[in-house]
Amino acid sequence: MDTFLSVTLDLLQGFWMTFKVFGLTLVFALPLGLIMSFLSMSKVKIVSAAMKTFIWIIRGTPLMLQLIVVFYGPGLIFKIDSLDRFPSVIVAFVINYACYFSEIYRGGIESIPKGQYEAGQVLGMTKSQIFFKVILLQVIKRIIPPMSNEIITLVKDTSLARIIAVYEIIWNAQSYIKSAGLIWPLFYTGAFYLIFCGLLTVFFRAMEKKLDYFRS
Amino acid sequence: MSVLEVKNIQKSFGKTEVLKNISFSLEKGEVLSIIGSSGSGKTTLLRCLNFLEFAEGGTISVNGEKIYDGSEKRSMKENEIRMKRLHFGLVFQDFNLFPQYNVLKNVMLAPTLLKLGTEEEIEAGARALIARVGLSDKTESYPCELSGGQKQRVAIARALALNPDILCFDEPTSALDPELTGEVLKVIKSLKNGDSTMIVVTHEMGFAKEVSDKVIFMADGIIEEEGTPEDVFGNPKSAKMRAFLSKSFENI
Repeated sequence: MDTFLSVTLDLLQGFWMTFKVFGLTLVFALPLGLIMSFLSMSKVKIVSAAMKTFIWIIRGTPLMLQLIVVFYGPGLIFKIDSLDRFPSVIVAFVINYACYFSEIYRGGIESIPKGQYEAGQVLGMTKSQIFFKVILLQVIKRIIPPMSNEIITLVKDTSLARIIAVYEIIWNAQSYIKSAGLIWPLFYTGAFYLIFCGLLTVFFRAMEKKLDYFRS
Repeated sequence: MSVLEVKNIQKSFGKTEVLKNISFSLEKGEVLSIIGSSGSGKTTLLRCLNFLEFAEGGTISVNGEKIYDGSEKRSMKENEIRMKRLHFGLVFQDFNLFPQYNVLKNVMLAPTLLKLGTEEEIEAGARALIARVGLSDKTESYPCELSGGQKQRVAIARALALNPDILCFDEPTSALDPELTGEVLKVIKSLKNGDSTMIVVTHEMGFAKEVSDKVIFMADGIIEEEGTPEDVFGNPKSAKMRAFLSKSFENI
């Protein structure tokens, strides 16, 4: 019983790191993704082409590789000080997820009928008023399902942080194999992920329900 | 002085000339119907008036003031276009109500954003307009809970809320079931008693005949025939107009 308690505490500590990576990634990647989606839809060809190329590279290579590049790259290539481990993880995750989010935003924005913009225009609204007062909520409603998918994937992707030795929950659990010959702590981590993803699922369902009052 | 004076409007999409030197004028309180077959440029003309498209040539004057000159369109700033647009209102074929707002909020949104009064004033004005289109019992409803005809009446109230000099309708009943067109046409007709100047692009020949002061028949980007409804419908001079009329009525 004592072991169970100490393992639980240890895993909780690891999960706190998992949660920090998850939370900080969302805080930065959600707005950054929106900006990137605007750039990828820019009428200035060179801007949209540059953005699309960038998104292609990030989506086309493994997050694991990106973590390694962010952490080791600056030191090895440019001979400058690398970021610490934790900030490196956040930078890599934010860039990676912002790219996926930007494509989800783009899909949502482009699916709003042109007539909604035109209605705002003929009513004398400014571009930003049209976006924030008319378009945005409709976009949010449409992108909740793909967004919740991506965000739930993020929960589990955080385990990649261990690649550059950031001690998240899986790392902590795995250390019991070597130190105590215990395998079950590793399986036990599954419960943490399941419960957290379950909470997220409930949250997204509630959000969908809240926006159920209108159809667009 | 004419409330609206349109001179030599030209517009092409790529190599297709959609509007070729369109000119007409409108007096305050008049109702102009624009008829013609699909692809004749009617809708494009309305969109040019509302600056959803920009004419490549020609001028638009409202109350004697030139607000648009096709030869210098590039010098117009975003904000300038926005303010000039307010001379016109536009009711769309497919309503384009804002789905996340209820009827009252749909009508109030633009006046609130443009700060046209205190919130109480704007709300009172909006309620009066909603009553005018006969939807006082629907102020709290969302667009998805309304029929097509009701949606279009809300759209009319929403356009009226900005008190435009000229209110334009782009085939306001084309997206409606036949039994719903009547209620919308009745509302448009009722506006005539006020001093609203209106331009209605329509396929409803009966409506055009009965309500308009002036009818323009467009074909292939030009005004083929114009005049009072009596002249245009009763005594059409152009062959195209005669052909169009006989087709329109043979459908009925």
